[in-house]
Formats: sequence, structure tokens, C-alpha cells
Amino acid sequence: MILSFTDDYSFGLLIGFVCILIAFFAMMKETDDLHRLLLTDVIEIIALVIIALIGTDLAEALILPGLVVGIAEILALAEIYIEKEGLVKTPENFLKIEIMDTAPGILSAIMLIYGVILSGFTGGAVAGLGLLFYFLCRGSQKKTQILETISGYAWVCWVVAFIVFMTIPQYWFFAVMLAGTGIFAKVAAKMTIVGTMRGNRDV
Amino acid sequence: MTPEFLLGLGILIIGVIAAAFPDPKTYLNRLINLEISGFGLLLVMLSYNETLALLTFIAVTAITTFVLVRVLERRAIN
Repeated sequence: MILSFTDDYSFGLLIGFVCILIAFFAMMKETDDLHRLLLTDVIEIIALVIIALIGTDLAEALILPGLVVGIAEILALAEIYIEKEGLVKTPENFLKIEIMDTAPGILSAIMLIYGVILSGFTGGAVAGLGLLFYFLCRGSQKKTQILETISGYAWVCWVVAFIVFMTIPQYWFFAVMLAGTGIFAKVAAKMTIVGTMRGNRDV
Repeated sequence: MTPEFLLGLGILIIGVIAAAFPDPKTYLNRLINLEISGFGLLLVMLSYNETLALLTFIAVTAITTFVLVRVLERRAIN
């Protein structure tokens, strides 16, 4: 391929490589860990620019998981940094108001039922929010085990649905329903995990 | 080459230089300079009509800033 630097893609790629050189040079010279963490974000942006230069739907489809991986990476590195430098601080008291003792049962039951009716991704989000609220208010000793079980069953639903799609496509409706149930359970379980992050012993 | 594409690449390279070699070399300064290169990326996405990616990037940048500011704050206290 001959790079002419007159069309968008080649020119953008040239600028992108110059940026990469600058960013990695700065990264190489840097010794402070937190500065390095900030520079990781710069490198992520440059990588996204290079993907965006493709300029098609494919680029868009690649940028979205790139963003998710980027935020996950920043979160993980930030936590590791805090742990490494010993900057962990435990909050003195958790939020404690009366409504958190009375409301969770009925409210999460309503949201769970409505979520099951909605089904799929949206239903999973609604039901997960209800469960999140429940776990947030009631604490979560020994209850996290069941979330892992649900998550496992959701994977099984997905895999079975995929195999049905591939091998016996005439039963596609069954596979769609199975996949819908799977994503419902998966999203709900994942959102519930957020509710268990209240500094209990088992989390 | 559309104007926003050229502007985006220009801002990107300026932002990367600013984030790589910030003048008073503080964490906060570098974090603010990060936003410049972010804007470059946004303009490049805009020139290619990548709406969904653009909106998601805005949301993710906000979360990233929260996470990084949290680390900086912990570091400043201790």
C-alpha cells in the first residue's frame, strides 16, 4: 500500500503515529505511577482515533467495546494503585435511614415482577435495580453465592440458544426466548452485584 | 478532508503534546490536558458521523474523570 498523505485515512494515520511516538516517549521517561496511569488514558484516546479513522459502521462497532475495556482498565488500575500505595480508607458509617428497613421487600418485589414482564435487556435492568436496592438495604451475608449460580445458568441459556441457532435453525423462536431469558438473568445478576458492594465481610 | 477532521487532528496532536509534557508537572494539570486530546477524538468521530461512538465516549470520559479524580483525591489527603 502506498501512503500518499492526501486522503483522509493516510493523513490521519500519519498524525496518529506521531501522537503514539510522543505519548510513548513521555511514558518511557515517566517514573511516577500515577502519571503513568494518566498517560494510559492518552494512549487509549490515540488508539480510538486510529480505529475511528476507518470511518465505517465497523469502526463504530469496534470503538464501543474499546471504550468499555478502557474504562474497565482504568478502574482496575486505579484500584490497584490505591491498594498498592495504601490509600484505602474505610467509611466510618454507612447510610442508614428508616425507609431502608421498611421499603426494600415490597419495592424490589414490584420491580422484579415488572422486570420479568418486560424481559430481555430492559427487564434485566429493571429487575436488577430492584434486587440492587434490596441487597443495598438488607446486607448480603451468604447471599452472593446464589448470584454466581444465576450467572452460570444465564451462560448455559446463551450457549444452548447459540447451538440451537446454528444446528436446528427452524426452532429459532425457542432459541430467541432462551437467549432473552439468559440476558435477563445475566443483567439482573450483574446489577445486583453492585448492591452487595457495601463493605461487607464477604465482598 | 472536512474542516472538522483537520481541526480534530490538530487538536489531537496539541492535546497529546500538552498531556505528555505538561508545564507545571502536576497530576491535575495532566488530567485537564487529557480533555484536549479527547476533544480531538470527538471531532474526528463527528467528521465520520459516528454518533453512537461519540455519545458513548462522552459518557465514558465522565466516568473516567470521576475515577481518576478519586485517586488524585486519595493521594492528596495522605
